[in-house]
Amino acid sequence: MSSELYACVHAAEFPAQALLRLRTDLQTQPVAVLDGPALQETVCSLNRHAVRRGAVLGMTKLEAEGIGGLQLLSRSTEVEAAAYAVLLECAAKFSPRIEAASQGTGCALVLDIAGMELLFGPPEKLAERLRDQMATAGFRVSIATSANFHVAQIKATATRGIAIIRKGDEAHALEKLHIALLPLTEEQRETFASWGIRTLGELAALPKVELVKRFGAAASDWRALAQGVARHTFQPIEPAFALKEFYDFETPVEQLDSLLFIGARMIDCLVARAVGRAMSLASLSVDMALEGGQVHHLAIHPAVPSVDRKFLLKLLHLEMGAHPPLAAVVSLTLAAEAGQSSKMQLGLFAPQTPEPSRLDVTLARLKAIVGEDRVGTPVLEDTHRSGSFRMEGFVVYAKPTVQEAGNPRMALRRVRPPHPIQVSLHAMKPVCFRDGDTRFEITAVYGPWRTSGCWWSQNGWDTEAWDAMAASANGETFGCLLVLDRMRNEWRLEAFYD
Amino acid sequence: MPSASALRLEIERTLEHRFPAALTPAPKTIYEVAPIGVAPVDALLEGGLPVGAISEVTGPESSGRTSLTLAFLAKRTEGGQVCAWVDAGDAFDPESAAASGVSLKQLLWVRCRNERGLTRSKPWTRLDQALRATDLLLQAGGFAVIVLDLGDMEPAHAMRIPLTTWFRFRQAADRTRCSLVILGKTTYAQSSAALVLESAPFLPENVGGTVWRGCKFEVRRGRQRFTPQLATSRKPPASAWSAISAWEVKRRA
Repeated sequence: MSSELYACVHAAEFPAQALLRLRTDLQTQPVAVLDGPALQETVCSLNRHAVRRGAVLGMTKLEAEGIGGLQLLSRSTEVEAAAYAVLLECAAKFSPRIEAASQGTGCALVLDIAGMELLFGPPEKLAERLRDQMATAGFRVSIATSANFHVAQIKATATRGIAIIRKGDEAHALEKLHIALLPLTEEQRETFASWGIRTLGELAALPKVELVKRFGAAASDWRALAQGVARHTFQPIEPAFALKEFYDFETPVEQLDSLLFIGARMIDCLVARAVGRAMSLASLSVDMALEGGQVHHLAIHPAVPSVDRKFLLKLLHLEMGAHPPLAAVVSLTLAAEAGQSSKMQLGLFAPQTPEPSRLDVTLARLKAIVGEDRVGTPVLEDTHRSGSFRMEGFVVYAKPTVQEAGNPRMALRRVRPPHPIQVSLHAMKPVCFRDGDTRFEITAVYGPWRTSGCWWSQNGWDTEAWDAMAASANGETFGCLLVLDRMRNEWRLEAFYD
Repeated sequence: MPSASALRLEIERTLEHRFPAALTPAPKTIYEVAPIGVAPVDALLEGGLPVGAISEVTGPESSGRTSLTLAFLAKRTEGGQVCAWVDAGDAFDPESAAASGVSLKQLLWVRCRNERGLTRSKPWTRLDQALRATDLLLQAGGFAVIVLDLGDMEPAHAMRIPLTTWFRFRQAADRTRCSLVILGKTTYAQSSAALVLESAPFLPENVGGTVWRGCKFEVRRGRQRFTPQLATSRKPPASAWSAISAWEVKRRA
């Protein structure tokens, strides 16, 4: 007794389905896909709405344009490759053994589902779940299950919906199907037509020897296929797990909203695929091919891997807003890096800190308001140069650095950029200075504190700092930091003590 | 003869439709405070700055308002909490903050951009940027302290901030249990502020010598909406405190 059981998933008109998968707005409209060299383009694939409008395969572009309301799209092999990867990913959730069996413009995958009953139930249940899974990914598929590989494949190609073929019913299931489903040449098909043979059932009834005498050894295989007894050696493929989505725009897109409309659907697909493997998206890489051949690259790194669609879309929105493409976008590629789902164990007495995902969005919004390099954590440079620091990205650490707060200290308020001032000296010490039209008397001064460094480079400095207590004419007193740039012989008001 | 409590109960019942609980004092809500880390000022404020409310630290330049705020940040980051400094005038000095004991890794610094750097699509002034940034941080939650530094802003400009903005900030601070500290030359938040600290111009300490060793500051409690406990003892309305220079600390260490 054979324990073989196969399920064939067939996505008809795959070029059209691949293009419409990310374009939900076009899914209810008649769409035809054109293929071929320029000026010789013909319709290679179309959806059912287009068929109802009278469009047929092989129409020229001119003929297709004559049908009112028909949307014409160009075939894209990149989009089809991305869609095929998604189809494969969905199928791999039901069986690790998958063989590609595509013919023509349809895309077919045959799954070895022997022994899967314990996981997914009887073939009917498995087929329903498989169809739902494909529908979630944006594909309309027909599914057939059979103990014979070829029967499942032929039945799925020829029918719509789900077909469950019991063992022993193979020949009966195929008998009314058209003979064109077999791999016949045009001449062979005409010969069968002249004999009055139109269905597989009629072909299966022909005597084997007589058939082989007229068509050769291949006729034996056709007869076995028609009877549902053809044998097959399963050749499973091993798909690599890559989270990547691609969309080729019909016309170059300039508006951010239009890009995000497609980007949102792409993120949905990436998240669904990652969730299927119990993973999250650790980073997103966005490549936008621009008019003129350039590629605009963006990268998004959430603080923790996430599967929150709205959060990822918001980050994409803010990143695109902060770094918009300099030309119209021709195609969009989203690639994600999978990471482990974020889990954080919070302590009962641990201090409250910002939620990582909300903080990411907040930081991106802040950067959009004040600038990319003006939000973050200040890090002091290892130098004696006064006021030197650099900005680094703000990260909330699980175990914060505990630093003991000591006595209160006098703080400076920097003047950025420092004001140039005019200083009067007496006995080599400042006695008063003028900032614009205002004159300030210096009541006490400490210094000079000389520092210099980096004399070997253009960033060298040589300064003389004075701590001064100053008073204006109206009696206001304040402490400030006056600096003499000895290289330029220029006085500056650098900071106030506060 | 009815007892006093029965009499009170009867009066309250009679007036119930007009004044609920007419003779019973309203229960006092005890608000959480966080210490600043400067003992005289903490004593003045009976604990420190309020949590989940707006505090204003006002005063002219060199009045010690920044030193006081940094001391508060140092105390909060000491406990592992995360703080933010929204710098409208781009005047924050990381070196001073580090010297005050602020853990810079736990500090988010938002430096508002100069008007010269504005683009056509983002024509926001520094004040506008600071308010938007503060709003975002308050809504995000998780920050123990957010300092809105309007210290260099002319009062004529900052006084134009609508009262509704301060109401929104107050509600957001209350919801996220964040201490929003506004640093300015004068008070701006008006009735939304739970506490106003007025710093007086500085008094140089130890004038003379070769090194400036420190300053003495005076701070006055201008307004305190909530008291952490019932005011049974009279506290002085003003307090003096002193800050030493960063190099003085290093020398002592």
